[in-house]
Amino acid sequence: MIDLDPGDDLELLRQTARSFALEELVPRLRDAEADRAVSASVRAAFAQIGLAGLELPESLGGAELGPLARAFVNEELGAGDAGAALALDPLGPALYPLLELGGEPALVEYGLPLLEEEGARAVLVCDDDASLEVVGDRLSGWVPWVPADRPDLVVVLTRDGALVLREGFESEVLRGAGLRAAGASALRFDAVPVAAQWRDTAAAARARGRARLYAASLLLGVLRHGAEFSRDYAQQRVAFGRPIAHHQGLAFLITDMHMAVEGARLLIHEAAWRAESAHPFEDAAASAWVETVSASVLVGPACVQILGGHGFMQDYPMEKAMREARALGLWLGGADAAREDAGRALCAGPPPVALSAGGIL
Amino acid sequence: MDFSIDAKLRDRLEVERAWGRERVRPAGLEADRQGSPLAQDHPYFQDFVARGEGRTRWHGPGSKGEVPPPGVVVRALLVSEELAYWDRGVIVASPGPGLPEPNVLALGTEEQKERFLGPFVALDRPRWACFAMTEPSAGSDAAAICTTARKDGDHWILNGAKCFIGNASRADWILVQATLDPSKGRDAQRSFFVEKGTPGLGGFKIEKKMGLKAYESTSFSLVDCRVPASNLLGGEARYERRAGFKTAMRTFNAGRPVIAANAVGIGRAALDEALAFARNADRLGDPRIRDRIEALARRLRMARLCCLRAGWLADHGKPNIVEASMSKALGATVAEEATSLGMELLGAVGARGDHLIEKLYRDAKAMDIVEGTGQIQRVIMARQLVKLPRS
Ligand SMILES: Cc1cc2nc3c(=O)[nH]c(=O)nc-3n(C[C@H](O)[C@H](O)[C@H](O)COP(=O)(O)OP(=O)(O)OC[C@H]3O[C@@H](n4cnc5c(N)ncnc54)[C@H](O)[C@@H]3O)c2cc1C
Repeated sequence: MIDLDPGDDLELLRQTARSFALEELVPRLRDAEADRAVSASVRAAFAQIGLAGLELPESLGGAELGPLARAFVNEELGAGDAGAALALDPLGPALYPLLELGGEPALVEYGLPLLEEEGARAVLVCDDDASLEVVGDRLSGWVPWVPADRPDLVVVLTRDGALVLREGFESEVLRGAGLRAAGASALRFDAVPVAAQWRDTAAAARARGRARLYAASLLLGVLRHGAEFSRDYAQQRVAFGRPIAHHQGLAFLITDMHMAVEGARLLIHEAAWRAESAHPFEDAAASAWVETVSASVLVGPACVQILGGHGFMQDYPMEKAMREARALGLWLGGADAAREDAGRALCAGPPPVALSAGGIL
Repeated sequence: MDFSIDAKLRDRLEVERAWGRERVRPAGLEADRQGSPLAQDHPYFQDFVARGEGRTRWHGPGSKGEVPPPGVVVRALLVSEELAYWDRGVIVASPGPGLPEPNVLALGTEEQKERFLGPFVALDRPRWACFAMTEPSAGSDAAAICTTARKDGDHWILNGAKCFIGNASRADWILVQATLDPSKGRDAQRSFFVEKGTPGLGGFKIEKKMGLKAYESTSFSLVDCRVPASNLLGGEARYERRAGFKTAMRTFNAGRPVIAANAVGIGRAALDEALAFARNADRLGDPRIRDRIEALARRLRMARLCCLRAGWLADHGKPNIVEASMSKALGATVAEEATSLGMELLGAVGARGDHLIEKLYRDAKAMDIVEGTGQIQRVIMARQLVKLPRS
């Protein structure tokens, strides 16, 4: 029966991630942006608290926690520095196709080597509209942006499967609109050899769903930080004789930002809970992702607006939050593909839409 | 964390769904067509009572009816959502101690519970009670009401006017909010039981509304209306500083997630109808339509989760002021969006005025007005989030 208490374990995890974000990420966020990387000391601290192998199978030395744990941790890291969070996670959401389609052997073969190499990164490319071309065991095409400088491994998730590229691709390092601590490149594939390939439409959909939850929870963290930071500021800053938060135009904007963040979080948690309890979750994950991106369209610019001119300057982190939020929303195929997935599923279902069917909300 | 509902609740929802389909929706459509509330002797009310509904949560002297066991609020919200799916107006029209019951349970004296809730224990016939706060000149600003209460020996004398009060003309008693001194704002407010037929209580005028026609929203006046001193809710001793106003607002704090659940129910009904219509018209292949339907389903799901969160917090005795207001603000907005999109998908068919979606479109609007408008919900949230001052 409905119980929204995260329980002691998740709460502890959240606190651990929050402390790490506040103590390690926040004080260095401009440095990480400038360096396009997190420092060795931050990496060491991250390794020490045990968050690095969060979802890895126990047999491979991980904690084998599920989507809810990922959602809780990502929200906290995203609230600290979303770019750094990506830089700290060598596999990122590329883990999901490896696990869902290739299983542990694939993880051992393609994933584990990256964990042993300082700063190595895998990127996930969601080729939802099949714009990349596979001929035989070669892949060609172009990806305008991935959040990593010169990735070491590329995992391409298609509608019906996944494939892995280990070498032969070109990375062009870009400035990046946001998430600069993670780096940014364009990838060019010119008949690149495919190292491994799997076909399984259902597993690909699961991997896509988990990747969307990964991105959504990171974005949620950015939005929460933007909303809370600007809210605090609005209670300090005085204009026309009172805190700007007490002018109703801003007070209502602040409540709406709060609602957007809280609502997105509930959708993410519900979808993650579904995934964790082996219920169908792909459509719910798509919806959660779309909603979080929609929330970012409000919260990103609004948190800058609340700080006025100060929000525009890099002395405050709101301009970073706005850029970060927009960039994250374009990741992994963006919201449009997810909207399409969720919409198709909904329209294919039998009427009426009983949201409470089958014992799940 | 758990987002599932158990078999017991699932079964209950199935039962309510069948009742809703067979009885609630037809009654709502009937009232909408006739343009006036369901009559007090309507068979729906008889059957509602025969079904075991319309009773109080109070079970006799010493009853702890005011402390529901954990989980009750969440369950009640989901049931309320399901019934509102079929017709929100009929739900409000249904007999029972209604809106004032939580206040009476929490603050009434034992004698008052016996007198005023007692008749709702084993119902002999459909009975109603209602709560009257709003006045022609004071709605959102509930602290500014000017219905007065003056002590006269062992009676109180009430004077003033109330408006838009649900079920007022048929209620056995009305819990009337009045002030001892309009210049003293909230501190001077008290609640009084005014029984049907009390001299001075009159001028009932059932308003003609845009929607939710199944229940009456009634204006009335109190002219030198004398009620016994024992009709002051909680007795004089209970009224410490500002407790009077807080008592009244307790009703609304408890009510907000319910309105949110009702709004989600209306929104779901609109979405289902819109989907069915679009499917019949072979329009679901159009990605513009699919996108908008997806957005609605997503926002309805979110609104429902917000509402359940407010309820879950209440179930666990945790503060839920922000969440309750958030759920209502969001639920009402999404219900409006859902019904409006439904109208758009119907196109000119919606303009005919004879489609269920058109009725839902009219019904849904009230969800953003009753028990605190969307703006007032934001004011309440802002008081918590940024310490927005009251004045
Ligand atoms: C169908 C229906 C049933 C009802 N049933 C009952 C009932 O059973 N019992 C009862 O007591 N009342 C009932 N009401 C009354 C309802 O609670 C009030 O209508 C509502 O609280 C709004 O008050 P008002 O109509 O006076 O509007 P006003 O208070 O005059 O508000 C007008 C507009 O101003 C806005 N506004 C007001 N103050 C502020 C502010 N501080 N900041 C920003 N905006 C503001 C409001 O949001 C609204 O948009 C019912 C109303 C309806 C429509």
